[in-house]
Amino acid sequence: MIDALETAERAVAAAEADEAEAVVLAERSGFARFAGSEVHQPTLVEDVSVSLRLVVDGKVGVAATNDLGDDGLRRLARRAAESAASAPAEESFPGLAEPAPLPTVSGYDADTAALEPDDQARLAAAAIDASTLLTYGYFTSGVTRVAVASSHGVRAEQTLTDATALVLTAGDEMSGYAELTSWRAGDVDPAAVAREADETARRTRGARPLEPGPYAAVLERYALAELLLYFSYDSLGALGLLEERSYFTGRLGEQIFDPRISIADDALDPAGLPKAFDFEGVPKRRVDLVETGVARGVVWDRETAARAGNGHVSTGHSPAPLEREWGPLPTALSVAGGEAASPEELAGLVGDGIYVTRLHYLSVVDPREGVITGMTRDGTFRIRNGRLAEPLVNLRFTVSVPKLLSEVPGLTREPIVTNLNDFYGARYPFGVLAPALATVHFNVTGTGSGPGI
Amino acid sequence: MRDLCASAVEAALAAGASYADARAVVRRSQTVATKNGRVETVRDVESEGLGVRVLVGGAWGFACDRRLSNEGATGAAQRSVAFAQAAPGVHERTLAPVAPAGGTYESRVERDPIEVPLDDKVEHCLRAEAALAHPQVTVTQAFVRAQRERKVLVSSDGASVEQELVECGAGLDALATADGAYQIRSYPSAHGGWSAQAGWEYVEALGLEREAPRVAEQAVALLSADPCPAGRTTVVLDSEQLQLQLHESVGHPIELDRVYGTEAAYAGTSFLQPSDLGSLRYGSERMNVTADPTSPGGLGTFAFDDEGVPAERQTIVEAGVLRGFLTSRETAARIGAGGGGSMRADGWSRMPLVRMTNLNLEPGEGSIEELLADVDDGLYLETNKSWSIDDKRLNFQFGTQIAWEVKRGRLGRMLRDATYTGITPQFWGSLDAVAGPQAWVLSGLTNCGKGQPGQSAHVSHGAAPARFRDVQVGVRA
Repeated sequence: MIDALETAERAVAAAEADEAEAVVLAERSGFARFAGSEVHQPTLVEDVSVSLRLVVDGKVGVAATNDLGDDGLRRLARRAAESAASAPAEESFPGLAEPAPLPTVSGYDADTAALEPDDQARLAAAAIDASTLLTYGYFTSGVTRVAVASSHGVRAEQTLTDATALVLTAGDEMSGYAELTSWRAGDVDPAAVAREADETARRTRGARPLEPGPYAAVLERYALAELLLYFSYDSLGALGLLEERSYFTGRLGEQIFDPRISIADDALDPAGLPKAFDFEGVPKRRVDLVETGVARGVVWDRETAARAGNGHVSTGHSPAPLEREWGPLPTALSVAGGEAASPEELAGLVGDGIYVTRLHYLSVVDPREGVITGMTRDGTFRIRNGRLAEPLVNLRFTVSVPKLLSEVPGLTREPIVTNLNDFYGARYPFGVLAPALATVHFNVTGTGSGPGI
Repeated sequence: MRDLCASAVEAALAAGASYADARAVVRRSQTVATKNGRVETVRDVESEGLGVRVLVGGAWGFACDRRLSNEGATGAAQRSVAFAQAAPGVHERTLAPVAPAGGTYESRVERDPIEVPLDDKVEHCLRAEAALAHPQVTVTQAFVRAQRERKVLVSSDGASVEQELVECGAGLDALATADGAYQIRSYPSAHGGWSAQAGWEYVEALGLEREAPRVAEQAVALLSADPCPAGRTTVVLDSEQLQLQLHESVGHPIELDRVYGTEAAYAGTSFLQPSDLGSLRYGSERMNVTADPTSPGGLGTFAFDDEGVPAERQTIVEAGVLRGFLTSRETAARIGAGGGGSMRADGWSRMPLVRMTNLNLEPGEGSIEELLADVDDGLYLETNKSWSIDDKRLNFQFGTQIAWEVKRGRLGRMLRDATYTGITPQFWGSLDAVAGPQAWVLSGLTNCGKGQPGQSAHVSHGAAPARFRDVQVGVRA
């Protein structure tokens, strides 16, 4: 793999500007995707992109390339300068970041980095072979190297590894789902993932419809992680707060959720997918978003912090150079665990309700109120008398996330990282550390098809 | 690029592939966005590389390299063969025959949007945004985009094609807030505006500055509008919302690779079966849908797809009956039908997948006023706000930015937070009128997601406003 920091420094050196900052993202990955128990989309990717941000007379412009030759970097610098020249000066631009000591984090595993295409195919085969049903999903592993260099002296580089096994198993009118992610591929057992999916799938045959209405529910970690991710887009970043899209607008310091709910963004946690710095080279730090149900804050980058004033500083959440318009967003959400030993134990707390394994195609209906719609799939069950009962067809839900989190009878003890990277664009591993959760409020608004594919 | 692709194909065949194709892609894209009177983004991105897809013993393999060099091309070819050879199990694949494709294609543009100076683009956005100014509009934003993609395809089945696709687009949003309420209005659509394979003249014709005052006024008016009531009623969808309805509930279900389960674990499958071809009633007699990669100005317009299949208009739904699927050479061989060109990859680092091209609801007759005239009590819904559909593309729920009450054939009061929901065949079965060609609009979106690793496709949809009876509206949390 290339020397990302050296490449970033070359890009900065090629620039003629008051300030220059280069971000390099390098990827080497293998993706053994399978369907019908056969690998059908095997994809090997090797790519490097360099983004150069220049500041000239207070004007800011960005250009990017994957041509790392001297001519390519010179052209990059020229295009970035042209971009900057086209823009009016930005008085509110806080300037580029200054160097700061970076935390030491884990997140790199040599054995994972050493996995070759043969290994990725073999690990996909392990998932396929472990199921007696037809399998769909993938095994992937990759190495990502991120570097930030700037004319202010920022020099930051980190090499990350990640591996995910994701399996849907399906038969006649039945399907189940499981997934496991880690920065250590050795922690990911594709066969065990397939067996978990199988076990769920076998309970889904004979699914029945459900009358729409309010239900108590148990959400497995897969469901909770995805729901929180969508909630975070508007509510847990500083830009949403400043633009009053956030549910937290006007509610910081208030008790908004059940006291059992504590949510942080913690990229330093080795149980997740650790990172030392953001895309400006600012050190990552743990940010408490919700403490025992009280709204405490959101994540910030330098630009939103400068706009807000009031002593706000970056929390190390500057987005990737080509995604800055989204503003700072959490990429390492972490939900504190509870007391329950298992999701089944949570069913006991719910008594009568529904059990949701996985969600599908979420969409934000009302950002300010945290209303999200979507479907359940691949393992939806009725809970009766505190136990999992008959399988259900896929359910449409339209829920207010704040209401869903307002009465939480319990959570499982151990949060587990759930991959939420769909691998669009450059690879940058991220996920949510989430336990399973029981809620009193889950609003079912319709029914769809049954399990199976 | 053509020689490099040929070298890659040759290297793949020498390494044991029975079939190989290589695509070299050079893409340049620009984005300019302004927000609240300041420049938020001025971005100019280039990417180039080459991807090689092979069949070895019936198993696919794909690898890519960012270097447009002989070393990069042959290295990607060898890695793709090795990955295919590593695939577990026994494989058998047949590709539908295709005549060797040769030729070139270029988008028709009057003024190359990439060559329009960036400061003109900035100025265009700032002017449009200034026209959104209103005391209760707290966030204004405008954006333009431009892209040029040159790509070469060479295959071991004789394809040798070079195409240059140029596209651009624009849009704006106004966010209004007051007393804890929040509303948004966009033009010409939400989620990134409209795009077309066209020159800068397309962006100018959208008239952002002209439309901005109306957009801002409506955003503010929505703050005090009544909520959309719940119940079953007649709805008329504007072209923009109908395009997304078409995309989600027709476009994705007719992708034959999904029907065969290749997207099952991620984007889902389809309620359709291969055996439904020619017999399944998808909707009412008024429903006529085509897939047309020859539509002028569409984002899915080309001469050949990424397998070298020539572009051809295909009937998908005729008088409500399913007549076609979107296919690849592999899926066309399985079903014994198809063609028209639907395989596309996102850049050089991804395998081609079955993708929508320009999926169009053919126009009916009359004006939107005539559609509304036959609504005694209903809703007119404009501009998508939220969207969701289940994994088999049956149960959907959409929200729109704005709704209008329709009483005795006339538009009445404005309503906020409108949603509607339904089941795909029942919903399309309730279609009882589509407006005529004068109201028909083709527009493109750039964020159609599919595949793992993920790919974003640029696709277009043509639609005129249409009327649906007995639709559930007003879903609440």
